[in-house]
Amino acid sequence: MKTFEEKWTAWIDDQLTGRELDEFEASLPDKAAAQAEKQSAKQLGSLLREQMAPVLNNAEFFSHQLRERLDREDRRSTARPVSTGWWTIRRLLWSGATALAIFVICAVVVIHNKPSPDQSEYLTQILNYRVDPAVSPNATITMFEKKDEHVTVLWVDGLQSLPPEYAAK
Amino acid sequence: MLFIAIFAIALSSSSVATRGDQTVWSGIVIASNSGPPEPTPTELTPLEGTLRQLFGYTRLHLIGEARKTLKSGQEDWLATTKYFALRVDARGQKDGAYVLNLKLLQENKVLLETDAQLSKASPLVIRGPQIGDGQLVIVLMVQ
Repeated sequence: MKTFEEKWTAWIDDQLTGRELDEFEASLPDKAAAQAEKQSAKQLGSLLREQMAPVLNNAEFFSHQLRERLDREDRRSTARPVSTGWWTIRRLLWSGATALAIFVICAVVVIHNKPSPDQSEYLTQILNYRVDPAVSPNATITMFEKKDEHVTVLWVDGLQSLPPEYAAK
Repeated sequence: MLFIAIFAIALSSSSVATRGDQTVWSGIVIASNSGPPEPTPTELTPLEGTLRQLFGYTRLHLIGEARKTLKSGQEDWLATTKYFALRVDARGQKDGAYVLNLKLLQENKVLLETDAQLSKASPLVIRGPQIGDGQLVIVLMVQ
């Protein structure tokens, strides 16, 4: 069952019809004053609707802006997994090639600068030796290495001794 | 392309760096204990102790020397004194060492002939004839 206030609001809004309308109007103590109040409420409603229209337009505008912004955010968030940021495929390839080139250069430099073992570690070798038996019939030759000093010595004994003047420059 | 260019530059620069020509020094020395004291020749300074220990002489006197920069490895040169000559004939490289044919000449006579493979860090010392109270010594080294 509707209260008086509900029926009053419905009457103001012209929602009451038939018997319900007759009973409500009959219950009003001053029908003329009620009709005046109804007219006043309707005028107020019209006025409010007119005044609120721009506000509603602004609300729609902001709502539209918000929707667009949300759409942009959505598009951005869906596009982000596809993008790789600064490391694009092209840059990755170039970076890889550059790193490989630097590695190769370093490797080549290191390999070429490494002292060759056969130059730095091996001692001088005597492949063969001979003296003319006609000139030095008593000559004997010995070959030995002083490994601590990395010196190879060919020791010839029995050559003819010579006078001091042979020490001349 | 960049990679190939860098690689080529690196290869060429490294090959230039390692192709450096080397000099072979050859000296004719009289080792003795007589005569006025004199400083050991600069070239013999690294070997001074070894030579003294080997021959028992304290004085090293350089009477002849020659220095040759090897480019092709086929060069020949001569170190001479008044009575002696050391003829060196380079015959290329083997195992990173220079193959040398050496002839020690006394005037026109060949006292000694030898083929040696001279390594960079290993000098060759040859004991020659006795001269007066000293000793003729031949030294070859890569500088």
